[in-house]
Amino acid sequence: MTVFLASVGFGLVTASVLAIAAVGFTLQFAVTDVLNLAYGAVMIAGAFLAYVLNSHGVNIWIGLVVAVAACAAGSVLLNACVYAPFQRRGAAPITMVIVSLGMTLIIEFGVQAAAGGTSVSYRMSQGPSVTADGFTLTAVQFVVIGLSLLVMAGTYTLLRYTRLGKAMRATAANRMLARNCGIRTGRVITATWAISGGLCGLAGVVFAMDAGSFDATSTDLFLVLILAATFLGGPGQAYGAMLGAVIIGLATEVSAAYITPSYKYVIAFVALLVMLGVRPTGLLGKAAG
Amino acid sequence: MKFTSPATGRRRRAWILAAVIPAAALAALTGCSSSSSGSTSAPAASAPASGAPASGAPASGAPASGAAASQPTGSPLTVADVAPFSGPDAALGPTYLASCYGATSAINAAGGVDGHPLNCKTVDTRGDPADAVPAVNQMFASTSNLALVIGCTSDEAAAVVPIINAHKMAMFCMTGQSEFDSVHFPYFYRLVPPDLEESYAMVAIAQQLHYQRIALAFGNDIGSQTFIQPAIAALKKAGMTLATDQSLDLNATTFRTEAEAIVQSHPDAIMTEALGSADPTLFSEIQQLNGGKMIPIIGTSAAISPPFFKAAAAAVGASTLASDFHADNLVTETSGPAFQAFSAALLAQQGKVPGATGNFTTYLSAPGGVHLYDGINLAALAMVMSKSTDPSVYGPDLLTIGNGAPGATVCYSFASCATLLGAGKAIRYEGPGGPTNFDSYHDSTGIFQIDTYSANGQVNVVGNLTAAQLRALAG
Repeated sequence: MTVFLASVGFGLVTASVLAIAAVGFTLQFAVTDVLNLAYGAVMIAGAFLAYVLNSHGVNIWIGLVVAVAACAAGSVLLNACVYAPFQRRGAAPITMVIVSLGMTLIIEFGVQAAAGGTSVSYRMSQGPSVTADGFTLTAVQFVVIGLSLLVMAGTYTLLRYTRLGKAMRATAANRMLARNCGIRTGRVITATWAISGGLCGLAGVVFAMDAGSFDATSTDLFLVLILAATFLGGPGQAYGAMLGAVIIGLATEVSAAYITPSYKYVIAFVALLVMLGVRPTGLLGKAAG
Repeated sequence: MKFTSPATGRRRRAWILAAVIPAAALAALTGCSSSSSGSTSAPAASAPASGAPASGAPASGAPASGAAASQPTGSPLTVADVAPFSGPDAALGPTYLASCYGATSAINAAGGVDGHPLNCKTVDTRGDPADAVPAVNQMFASTSNLALVIGCTSDEAAAVVPIINAHKMAMFCMTGQSEFDSVHFPYFYRLVPPDLEESYAMVAIAQQLHYQRIALAFGNDIGSQTFIQPAIAALKKAGMTLATDQSLDLNATTFRTEAEAIVQSHPDAIMTEALGSADPTLFSEIQQLNGGKMIPIIGTSAAISPPFFKAAAAAVGASTLASDFHADNLVTETSGPAFQAFSAALLAQQGKVPGATGNFTTYLSAPGGVHLYDGINLAALAMVMSKSTDPSVYGPDLLTIGNGAPGATVCYSFASCATLLGAGKAIRYEGPGGPTNFDSYHDSTGIFQIDTYSANGQVNVVGNLTAAQLRALAG
């Protein structure tokens, strides 16, 4: 029972980081039609920006805010300068994936060239630990879980109750129809890049806080987990991404406690494959036709 | 901002594209050239900027001379640092590059190799054979003046050593893989011990510190996995208990489950090698799950490097690392003429070596820093002695200079040794790594010491391990 509770605790932390990232990723995918594989690279760029500030004496929480703003702006630029021109020329989805893969390498190696290939850590206290029957979490990990809940609630509110959220949903459902209904889809898409980019920056910094030590390539595998959470929940489904993140996070850590940890990601993907075999559109995805 | 309006906006952002895409491309090129695709020249401090290629060319008639020698004017020769500069083991490449910069600048200051200046080139293997093979092939295709290869860690040695050997290029490799104990590659040289000896050394450290229950936590890369079986066998032979054996996926972002398993197994100490961010992350998670208290760590010699200290100290605190961390390391000089020449050469490169971070003095104890400095000096002296830059010609002289012929004069730096060679004397080079004794497989291994860190990153020698201790643990 102790081992189970401990792994559930670890799983919740992993799920929290994953949920922040996956919600941003899936919003981006749903509204903009870009499967942006550079998302992980932008995450780590945000994490390094916060590191640079932190290493110059800036509080990491201020660094987090700056990273969120910078990643929001960076993502808008990324779309305006790279993805949108390709889309205007009618690039096929697979072309966009290849373009985003190229941007991954450009951003990741750019960060590596600037920051070096070695691991870094934030100067921050993890705060006191809370231990209860094998369940051990630090204050920072509680904050990460809290931030994740806040993001989920905020996303729900945005999509459900705001004009922008409704416009985003309409654009995601049918861009042409939304435009014909008077929605300025261009602005909606730009706003989506900004919001999802901000979430990407937030995810990057909390990812780095959680990992304790990170380098320019640290999000390579994490991006695969983001994809898994996204597709498990149903691509383009924000609530599905939250659910997918919780399942993937818990599956990796709980399975690691009972099987060898080397296979924890394998278990997560077996779960994904089984789920997609049963329900190809994901947990909350709409059935075709 | 309004999101609903009758208007449908279309904007041209050609001007942004025109400005930003070239900038992005430039950034990409910078990133690739400096670390990823890895074939960029790293100029040695005093090397001339250019010169005609001279691979395998006979050395010119210019005499090698001592410290007062003039600047070399011949065509430059290249020493290639074939090692990870990115990926989990990215700290290794800059460590070797520091020794390359130090050695080549000292050689160039002493007139070069018969008038040929040496420079350094980085070849990024990313610590992965799949990336290493094309990188090495590209190196040979693009480097006509190659004179020596250094690096070739356990991550990629099995894949690249046969290729380098097939090109008849001399190499000093930092691999401990046991397959090189008994397979003869004529152009392969090694000044570091087989990994199994290092495993014994780690167990011997645990013995000296009176630990009984040992947890193993090694990375899932080739270089780290080779320690496990010898360590388990040695633990059994020493009468110790294996508390748990955890394999760490170097691409993973957290190791909480592994850390929890280690904490739950109540070890007295943890033996580990998981480079990159893996070990620092594991340490911080163990500290967190162990009520804020660190479990003592025994690392390998690869942990004696500034990037490792910087990352691990940031993760658990420098004072914690100073009190709870030990590592085996080959015995190296810490004083005397060889060390003085080495430290002067290396410290002169402080702030000049790309990717070298942290306390630069740690490189004075880093195995790669010390032994590759010696390897470059041995090769350069062999070139001087044989009057050739062709490895097939200077190779035998390398062994002669390393092992010493009867009556040879012992010398401690390239400058002093080259002067003796110029005077027609037989020499034996003894660098900061101590005397070398190459066997028929060109392996020369030394004895071990126990290192710790100070809170400022300084490396301290706190004990020695005898050959008898290691023999007692050998299977």
